[in-house]
Amino acid sequence: MDNMKKRSDKRMTLKEAISTFVKDGCSVAFSGMGGTQPVAPTYEIIRQQPKNLTLIGDSPCEPGDMLAGAGLLKRMEIAWCSYAVAGLGYNFRRAVEEGVPVKVEIEEYSNYTIGLRFLAGALNVPFMPTRSLLGSDLTTYNSKIIEYEDPYTHTPVALVPAANPDVGIIIASRADKRGNTQFLGFSANAENIARASKHTIIICEEIVSTDEIRKTGNLTVIPEYCVDAVVEAPFACHPWNMPYAYAYDIPFHMEFLKQNRTRDGFLKWLDEWVFALPDHEAYCRKVGWERLYTLTRIERKFCKAPY
Amino acid sequence: MPNYSTDYTMSEFLSVCAAREIKDGETVFAGVGLPLMGALLAQNTHAPNSILAMECGGIGPKPKRIFLGIGDNTCVENAIFSTSLWRLFSDQQKGFFDVGMIGGAQIDKYGNLNSTVIIGDKDYYTPVSRLPGSGGANDIASSALRTIVTMPLQKRRFVEKVDYITSPGHIDRKRYGLPGGGPSAVITDKCILRFDEETGEAYLASLTAGVTVDEVRAGVSWDLKVPDKIEETEPPTVEQIELLRFLDANKIYTGNGLASMTFESYIEMLINSYERMG
Repeated sequence: MDNMKKRSDKRMTLKEAISTFVKDGCSVAFSGMGGTQPVAPTYEIIRQQPKNLTLIGDSPCEPGDMLAGAGLLKRMEIAWCSYAVAGLGYNFRRAVEEGVPVKVEIEEYSNYTIGLRFLAGALNVPFMPTRSLLGSDLTTYNSKIIEYEDPYTHTPVALVPAANPDVGIIIASRADKRGNTQFLGFSANAENIARASKHTIIICEEIVSTDEIRKTGNLTVIPEYCVDAVVEAPFACHPWNMPYAYAYDIPFHMEFLKQNRTRDGFLKWLDEWVFALPDHEAYCRKVGWERLYTLTRIERKFCKAPY
Repeated sequence: MPNYSTDYTMSEFLSVCAAREIKDGETVFAGVGLPLMGALLAQNTHAPNSILAMECGGIGPKPKRIFLGIGDNTCVENAIFSTSLWRLFSDQQKGFFDVGMIGGAQIDKYGNLNSTVIIGDKDYYTPVSRLPGSGGANDIASSALRTIVTMPLQKRRFVEKVDYITSPGHIDRKRYGLPGGGPSAVITDKCILRFDEETGEAYLASLTAGVTVDEVRAGVSWDLKVPDKIEETEPPTVEQIELLRFLDANKIYTGNGLASMTFESYIEMLINSYERMG
């Protein structure tokens, strides 16, 4: 598996990409922040059932809450887990408060310092100093955060350890088959997750030619040498949004979160929307291509791709 | 005298209070909800040169629709900069962000906030109630030049000691090397609290019209400092309320608009928004 970054054609299906890289006991990081959440790969991981995963991420929604609810996580190194405007992460709560379905260890940071952990991982340095975390209880309950006196200025800093996940899963606007990856919108921590991870999977709305990428090289955030697999999977964030591609389907999200309030409701959701469907394509069919197209049509009114 | 409104809801009032804390030209780190409505209101009235910083990496967006999250597509719509999370937060750590808006489940007299865990009679590892966590709140509390806190005044929230300090307030910030200035105001439904520059302790700064000092005391667990003379919080103007109702036409944040929304009414809201603001 070591030479996968050198291939000239890294295209895979989502199923292949998850089964190739996401193994029992490995650590996984997902892109996204407050939107653009990797929902399709979360569902595919739940279908494939790798066990004892460690999730490293700033503020995961589906990847944190649903993987915890599916009992696949043993540990979360995160800053936050919920669904923001649409509702709360009840699986995360059940896992921490009651150990349902299994107890998950939590190692807490803030959004910025998780970002700095990926940055350190991407820079190939062991830690990063910051002026966040100091004087808070994040340092009390997380022994990995070290309060330290800077040897140059003799001021206090907090040190956070580099994060080098086994697998980074990134959703982007477009990429070529070699893995050169472009973002039209914000990129959150994607650039550093892709560089810090041992293996990086790119999921994009659209695979384009390398010549097409070369026309707007300034939009490239991740170059091919970081990437192991490229998956073309439109609407991989649904019901979340993707800038310049589709708007947030918040009514759909509200339906899910209503059901997610109880353990039974969540398990029913998994049966209906994950296990009963073979893949993401079937998910899109079940949501309805017309509905998805409406979200795209709306998005184009507000944000048109500049290329 | 400004033309004050007599017809507004509590959510609208709180948004207006948040808006008044923002000065023109300031860069504002805002989460979604009423503080963001306040920031948008400020931008559309007295602070046209303010800049919004959205957690996902969107800086200076000017969307033609309502924000539905801190990583919504609106965060990059007509933005001056679409960047990464660590770059945005680094700009805050460097001191470029004037105001940060935060909240929490608990606050103490020094403005320390808890949004991580209600421990109660249990422990951090198996708590009574697990909350979402810091997210970016700790970073905002550490580095924004000042922070504005918005929360309802309730005794179980305004506590002697928070169960967990997620976002440090006026602790010995110098000793800990925190670059930001800490909380400057706590906006509640009943009053606004501000902080003594010497002691860092909260005091009652103004009362919502019709609210008494005793009612405020009943909502605070510690012996709140109350000065001899207390002002009344300025009510919203007619213009501010009209603008808020334009910005949040479907009452997503200033009412219960989300609960009754269908896919069809949602799409209709977006199309209307495009036509009104486009």
